[in-house]
Amino acid sequence: MSAPSPRRASQGFGRVVVFVYGLLALAATARALSQIVTRFDEAPLAYSLSLFSGLVYVVATVALARSTGRWRTLAWVAISIELLGVLVVGALSLAVPQDFPDETVWSQFGAGYGYVPLVLPVVGLALLWRTRAVPSH
Amino acid sequence: MIGVLTWLVGALCLALAGWATWRAVRDRPVILRQLFGAGVIEAVLVVQVVAVAVLLASGEEVSDAVTFWGYLVTVLFVLPAAAATSFVERTRWSSVILALAALTTGFLQYRILVLWLA
Repeated sequence: MSAPSPRRASQGFGRVVVFVYGLLALAATARALSQIVTRFDEAPLAYSLSLFSGLVYVVATVALARSTGRWRTLAWVAISIELLGVLVVGALSLAVPQDFPDETVWSQFGAGYGYVPLVLPVVGLALLWRTRAVPSH
Repeated sequence: MIGVLTWLVGALCLALAGWATWRAVRDRPVILRQLFGAGVIEAVLVVQVVAVAVLLASGEEVSDAVTFWGYLVTVLFVLPAAAATSFVERTRWSSVILALAALTTGFLQYRILVLWLA
């Protein structure tokens, strides 16, 4: 017998996903802010991307934690942006490394964060998919 | 001083992560005694912040102060977040979260030590 699906995406195993999203949101946003405050001129593109990715993680964390109605839609959008972001920025950071002199969360497909940024959106989308048919109240 | 504190926190975090993993494997949620353990780690982290502030005020220097303080302050939020979660999630998954939080806190000690010695 397979494990029972959680009633909501934010319970049980989903709570672990929300927690890891929260960690990444904290790490990415704090890092981007320190980069922008201390040395924005060195790599404006990379640091702007850092901040953008941090904010997307914040949105994804809150949306997954709520995970009802419109929040679920928002979670779908935010996590899709993350997956796209880590794939595009990961590829670009290898193709044109001179534009990414310093690390962002998404550089080298998230290697600086143990590839968590690459794996997490897939887990997040799977979680939303598995819990999709459940009424949300 | 800072080296001793980071190693102490690192060791305590590994112990707590092991304990939480053991309970997760046995399908048990976080218990209050584990949260006391997390509280001890938080107390050492606060001592660490005070020690760093005193050392910097008395002439010590750190090369990347913004990032260094960023780590010192953000690490304070990780274990309390896991503790808060364990009150609403009374399943094994709270143990998984506590283990992840302890490992993250321990790993950040490594980054803090590297920046301090840089």
